[in-house]
Amino acid sequence: MSHALLAVSGIAACQRSRIELCAALGMPASQEEVDRETLAQVASRDQRAFSQLYDRLSGPLYSLAVRMLGDATEAQDALQDVFLQIWRRAPSYDADQSSVFSWAMLMTRSRVIDRLRARGRRLRVVSSMDDVNENAGSVDASVAEIAADTADRNEEALRVRSNLNKLPADQRQAIELAFFNDLTHHEIAARLNQPLGTIKARIRRGLLKLRERIAV
Amino acid sequence: MIPDDLQDDAALFALGALNAEESAAFEKTMSGNAELRGIVREMREAAADIGRTVPSQQPPLEVKQRVLREIALEKQAGTSRGSATTSSNWLPWAIAALFLVFCGILAVDRARLQRELADLREADPLARTTLVTLASPNGEQTDAKVTVAWQPDRQSGVITINHMPPAGEGRDYQLWAVDANHKDPINAGVIHVDADGVAHVRFRPDQEAMQVKAFAISLEREGGVPKREGPIVMIGNV
Repeated sequence: MSHALLAVSGIAACQRSRIELCAALGMPASQEEVDRETLAQVASRDQRAFSQLYDRLSGPLYSLAVRMLGDATEAQDALQDVFLQIWRRAPSYDADQSSVFSWAMLMTRSRVIDRLRARGRRLRVVSSMDDVNENAGSVDASVAEIAADTADRNEEALRVRSNLNKLPADQRQAIELAFFNDLTHHEIAARLNQPLGTIKARIRRGLLKLRERIAV
Repeated sequence: MIPDDLQDDAALFALGALNAEESAAFEKTMSGNAELRGIVREMREAAADIGRTVPSQQPPLEVKQRVLREIALEKQAGTSRGSATTSSNWLPWAIAALFLVFCGILAVDRARLQRELADLREADPLARTTLVTLASPNGEQTDAKVTVAWQPDRQSGVITINHMPPAGEGRDYQLWAVDANHKDPINAGVIHVDADGVAHVRFRPDQEAMQVKAFAISLEREGGVPKREGPIVMIGNV
């Protein structure tokens, strides 16, 4: 067994005991802990755990792919690529670097950017975030538990969106150009006709504010 | 304490906004600086959260089926590869035999997966449920969050309400299904919201509702009414 796999298994054992302790005390384990445990099971080639992880992550990852690619069929192919990567890379996941959700989300962004570069197409310009919440609720769901889960995710999305909208427009614009349009800070500075240092500071301040507000 | 310029780079790195050369240099700096790695992790979490801000969509069920099929094949292939021997004399025969076994396993596995997928399609309630978010009919901002999960084939649903103001003395909220086959909205029951503005109720419309176009909540007399009288306070199209 590789060191990475051993490390993941070790984390999984710790997480599992904590999650079991939470369950025994009637306390809910955090979503991040549950995700980590599930991914550790995926690392040990557990297909059922993989199926659970797919159910949890596929909606947000697919939504991002559709948004950036502007093509549902291609987004589905990208999503398939991402989940195959998750299956293959689960043993090397490092919880110190990011949460499972962030790991998967940034992997999706990266795969989508690869596809966009491959086909030499310009990234779709992401429209203002002001109009994106109109479709936020119109998703499929199942019975009560799934409905509540989806509603929670939508609420989370609304909360993050609201926090992003509260950022000063210049910070938000710079962050969105980097995230959705795959521009480097040099390109953003050129596009907005601003000094490089200004763009760097805007991005840092914006991300820090976003993190602080989300963490509250 | 990490200087501002390094924090700037951490943010750019997390967003993928450094060029390849800058990225490589930053990774080298980060590898020997635990505090900086911590900042990058925080920045990554914030960057990933931006991905949540796009409109929510669910992929078709067939994507999951494709992915599960792929990983089942990979797992199978990995197992077969792992059992191969390095003995040189009978290696070609062993490979051929393994190949035959592998083909057999694939055939059996394919049939099993097809059965499982058929069961999944049949059993998956996700494919048969629609989620509707209700909002104020005149577009007013409100703290209330109302979601309806509706299953037409079962003619039942679940409504989840948060932050709803009290209905008031002698009043009740009532849920209605607006159906294309019915002239008037169909009564789907009175919804009692608790003191915290929360309700989580399973409902079933009074009449068959096969083509529901919208769900609405009105403010009615206590105990509800057979036909809507009061004002619509929340509505959402299916």
